[in-house]
Amino acid sequence: MRPIRIFLSRIREFFSERRANREFDAELHEHLRLLAERFEQKGMSPKDAADAARRQFGNAALVQQRQREARTYLSPGELWRDARFGARMLRKHPGSTAGVVIALALGIGMNTCVFTFVNTLLLRPPAKVKSPGELRELWERSNHSSGLGGYLPLSYADYAYFRDHVRSFSGLMAFDGDSEAVLWNRSGQGDVVRAEFVSGNLFSVAGVDIPLGRAFTPQDDQPGNPRPLVILNNSFWRQRLAADPAIVGKTMMLNGIEFTVIGVAPPGFVGLVAPEVPDFWTPLSMVERTLHDPGRMSNRNSYWLLAEGRLAPGASTRSAEAEASVLAREIEATHPDTNKDLGAALFAVGPLPGPARGYVAAFTGLLMIVFGLVLVIACANAAGLMMVKGSGRAREMAIRSALGAGRGRLIRQMTVESLLLSLLAACAAIAFAAATSRALLRLVPSNMPLSIHVPVDLRVLVFTFAVALLTGIAFGALPALRGTRVDPVHVLKEELQAGGYRSSRMRNILITGQVTVCALLLFGSTLCVRSLLNANSINPGFETRNIATAQLDPGSLGYSDAKVKLFYRDLTARMRALPGVSSVSFVNHLPLDAAREDTGVIPFGSTQSKESALPVDVFRVAPEYFSTMGIPMLRGRDFTPEESDRNDDVIVINDTLAVKLWPGQDPIGQKVKVGDAKTASEVIGVVRTGKYRTLGEQPVPVLFRLTMPAQRVIVVRTLARPDAALDWIRRETQAVDRNMAATQLQTIADFMSFPLFPARATGLLLGAAGVLALVLTWIGLFGVISSSVAQRTREIGVRMAMGARRTDVLKLVIRQGMIVTAIGLAIGIGCGLAAARLLRALLYGIRPDDPATLAGVLVGLAAAAMLACYLPARRAMRVDPMAALRYE
Amino acid sequence: MDEKKSEVLQGTLDLMVLKTLYAMGPLHGFGIARRIEQLSEDVLQLNEGTVYTSLLRLQQQGWIKSAWGASENNRRARFYSITKQGQKQLERETQNWERFAGVVGRVLRLERQG
Repeated sequence: MRPIRIFLSRIREFFSERRANREFDAELHEHLRLLAERFEQKGMSPKDAADAARRQFGNAALVQQRQREARTYLSPGELWRDARFGARMLRKHPGSTAGVVIALALGIGMNTCVFTFVNTLLLRPPAKVKSPGELRELWERSNHSSGLGGYLPLSYADYAYFRDHVRSFSGLMAFDGDSEAVLWNRSGQGDVVRAEFVSGNLFSVAGVDIPLGRAFTPQDDQPGNPRPLVILNNSFWRQRLAADPAIVGKTMMLNGIEFTVIGVAPPGFVGLVAPEVPDFWTPLSMVERTLHDPGRMSNRNSYWLLAEGRLAPGASTRSAEAEASVLAREIEATHPDTNKDLGAALFAVGPLPGPARGYVAAFTGLLMIVFGLVLVIACANAAGLMMVKGSGRAREMAIRSALGAGRGRLIRQMTVESLLLSLLAACAAIAFAAATSRALLRLVPSNMPLSIHVPVDLRVLVFTFAVALLTGIAFGALPALRGTRVDPVHVLKEELQAGGYRSSRMRNILITGQVTVCALLLFGSTLCVRSLLNANSINPGFETRNIATAQLDPGSLGYSDAKVKLFYRDLTARMRALPGVSSVSFVNHLPLDAAREDTGVIPFGSTQSKESALPVDVFRVAPEYFSTMGIPMLRGRDFTPEESDRNDDVIVINDTLAVKLWPGQDPIGQKVKVGDAKTASEVIGVVRTGKYRTLGEQPVPVLFRLTMPAQRVIVVRTLARPDAALDWIRRETQAVDRNMAATQLQTIADFMSFPLFPARATGLLLGAAGVLALVLTWIGLFGVISSSVAQRTREIGVRMAMGARRTDVLKLVIRQGMIVTAIGLAIGIGCGLAAARLLRALLYGIRPDDPATLAGVLVGLAAAAMLACYLPARRAMRVDPMAALRYE
Repeated sequence: MDEKKSEVLQGTLDLMVLKTLYAMGPLHGFGIARRIEQLSEDVLQLNEGTVYTSLLRLQQQGWIKSAWGASENNRRARFYSITKQGQKQLERETQNWERFAGVVGRVLRLERQG
C-alpha cells in the first residue's frame, strides 16, 4: 500500500515538476525571510539577520536538491542533463562508441530483419479491409490426416452450403487462393496478367469501398448466369492503363472473352491473403469460361476456395466453429462419397492462410532464437567495451562521488549512457534491417508469382525499440554496477589496480560466455547449412543446364483441338529448324513444379479391386521429352511421333514403378490399367527415377503418357547457354500465331531456383548468423586480451626485468586467452550436442554429432581465438622493461 | 554521513512534525519550525530546512496534506494539516516511541551491580 502510494505520488509529480519547484522555492524563501525578520527584531543588522537565518535554516540548496530527488524518480530536466552529458562522453570516445553501436546494430538489426518477415507473413492484417479482427477463415479438416495436409479449402458446392446456412457469420465470402494467369489481348498483342476469382459478396463482406465505379453484387456471381465483369487493382490501373479516369464501362479481352470493367479497387487493397497480388478481380462463376475448365463450379472434388466470414454480432469464434462443424456434418450426411469425415475449422485472418501459419511461425521462431543468441553475443561485447571504458572512468566516478553524488545518481548516469547507445544502435538497426530484407527478397526467384513487401511499419519500430531498450539495460547493468562501486580515497590516490583485477575477472566470465554461445551457434548453424547443402545436391533426375522452358496455352484463345495441334506442330518445326537448338519437346507440367496429377494403376488382367490400385504420379509428354530433359532411358524406347499423333495407349514408366509392379521381371511389353480406363496400356520404356514433387522425397512411382492438354510447357535443349533460346521461343510463338504469348519464360536453372529457394534463404540466414557470431566473439576476445595486456604492462616489465624470456611472456598472455576459450568451447559444444539432438528430425544426410562439423568448429574457433590472443601478445613481448617500470 | 544516526533522527523529526500538526491544527513550515524550537528549549539543534524534507515524506505517505492559504500577516503560505491516516500513524508511532523510550529508560536506570 505505502510503496504504491509513494510510487503514484512520484509519477504525478513527474508531470508537475516545474510548478512544484517554483512553489517550493517560494516557500523556502518565505521561511528564510520570516526567520531574518525575527533576528532583526532581536536587534541584528539586516545583513547579519539574513546570515543568521541561513545558518539556522541549514543548507537550502541541499534541501531543494533532496526535495527534487525525493519528489519524483527521474525529473525531465535531470534526464535531459544526463542525456546531454552522456552524449558528450560518447563523443569523447568515438572508437568504443562506434564499436558498441555497430555490434548492437548488427545484433538488433538481424532480429528486426527476421521480425519484418514475421510481421509481413504472420501479423499484418489485410490492408483496406474493415475491422479485420472480426474476420475468420473457414477450412475443412479431414479427421484422418494431421498437420498441414489435413486442411482443405472448400469446393464451390460446400462454400455455397456454408454461405446459405451459417448464422454465426454476417457474411461468408470466398476467393480462389492462387491467382490465375490469363492472356490479355490488347490490340493484337498477348500479355499475361493475373486474375483472382472472388465471390459476389466479397467487397461488401470485407468492407472494401470502391472509389471508382461499383463493387460486385451477388447478382453478378450466379453460377447459372456468369457476368464477365472485372474490378481492377489500383496499381494495375495506374501502371498499365495510365489511370484512365473513364475506365469504368470499357472492355478488356481476357482469354478470348470480353470483360467489362465496373470498378477500380482502392489503392493498397491487394486481396485478402499475401503474398500473391492479382491484377484484377472477377466473379467466381466466371472461372469455368475463363479457364476453360467446365465442371469446376459443380465438381465436389475440386477444393479451390478460401472462405472468410465476418462474425455476426454476438457470435464468438467458438460458437461459429461449433455451428460450422454441425453444417459440415450435414454436408457429410448428404454427400458421404466426397465429404466423409470432413469437419470444419476456423482461423483468424492473417497474411498467410491459417493452417500454414503454424509452420512459418515455428520456422521464424527458430531463426529468432538463433539471432537472439547473436544479440546475446553482441550484448556481451558491448558490456565488455563499456567496462573497459568504465575502468578508464574510475577517476571521474570517484570525483563525482567525492563531490556528493550518490551511487544511485552514478548508476543512473551510466544507464542513460547505455540507453543512448542502444537507441543509436536501434536507429542503425532499422536501416540495416530494411536493406537486408530487401536483399533477401532479391533471392526470391523471379518466376515465383509473389510480390512481398516487407514494410517497416509501426509494429516493427516498436519491436526494434523494445529490443533495444532491453539490450541497453542488459549490457549496461553490469558495467554500471561495477563501474560505480568506487572508493574515492583509493582511486584518487591512483591505486587503480585492485578494481582493475576485479573487472578483468568479470570480463573473463563474459568472454567465456561469449565463446560458449558462439560455439553453440556455429555448431548448430554449420549442421543446418551442411544438411541444406546435402539436400540441394540431390540429383533431380534431369539436366539442369542448357534447357529453356516456357508456358503455352492456345486453349485460352478458345482454339479447337485441331487448331491447337496445328499450332504446336508449326512451333515445333520452327524451333527445331533453329541452329542453336538440338531438340524440342513438351510436357503438361515440369517435375518439381507446384502442379500434380495422380492416378492408380493395376496390372492388366489382375483381379485387384480399384481401391487397391497403386497410386502413381502422371506426366503427359511429347516424343523426345526424355532426351531433351536428359532423363536416361534404362530399357525399351521413347514414344514415336506417330504414336503421339494417334494418342496411342502406350506408356513409359520409371524404374520405381517397374520394381513395384513386376519385381524381377522385364516390364517391357507388360500391360496395366490406368485409372478408370477400360483398355490396357502397354509399357514401352523404363526411365530412371528422378524427383517429382520435392527434392527431399522418397522414390515416387511415375508413369508418362501421351494425350496432352492444350496447356503445355515447351522444353528446348540448346547447344550453348539457353538464355538466347528464351527470345527464340517468344519470337517463334508470335510468328506462328500473333495472338499467342509464351509465358513464364525461364531457363531450367531459373526454374530450379524455385524448389531450392527455401533452403537457400535459410542457409544464407544461418550462415550470416554464424559469421556474425564468430566476428563479434573474435572482437570481444581481442578486446579483452588487449586491454588486459595494457593493464599488465608494468607486471610484464617486472617479469622481463627478472629474466623472463619473450616466449614466456607470449605464453603468459596466450594462456590467459586460451583458458577462457577452452572453457567456453567445452560448454558450448556440450550444449550444441544436446541441442542438435532436437534438430535430428530436420537434418538431412548428416548426423547431429557429425565429427567433421565438431572438429571444424573446434579447430576454427580455437584458431580464431589464438589469432585474437597472438596480436596483443606480440605487443606484450615488445614491452621494454625499463620503459614500463619508469612509466609508473 | 553515518546512516544509522540520521535514520533515528529522521523518524523522530517526522513524529514531532506529525504531533505538532495534530496538536496545533494546520500550520505552515515556518510555524512548525517555531513550535518545535519552542518545545525543544534549545536542547535540539534543528536545521530548519530538514522540516521540509520531512513534510514531503509525510505527504507522500498520505499522512498529511497541504493547501495554499494566507498567513497571519496576509502572505501566501502553504498550510499543512494531518489526515485521518496520519492520526492513526501518529498513534502507532507514539506507542512505538513510548515502548522504545521505556526500554531505553529502564536500561539506563540499571544500577551498577556488585
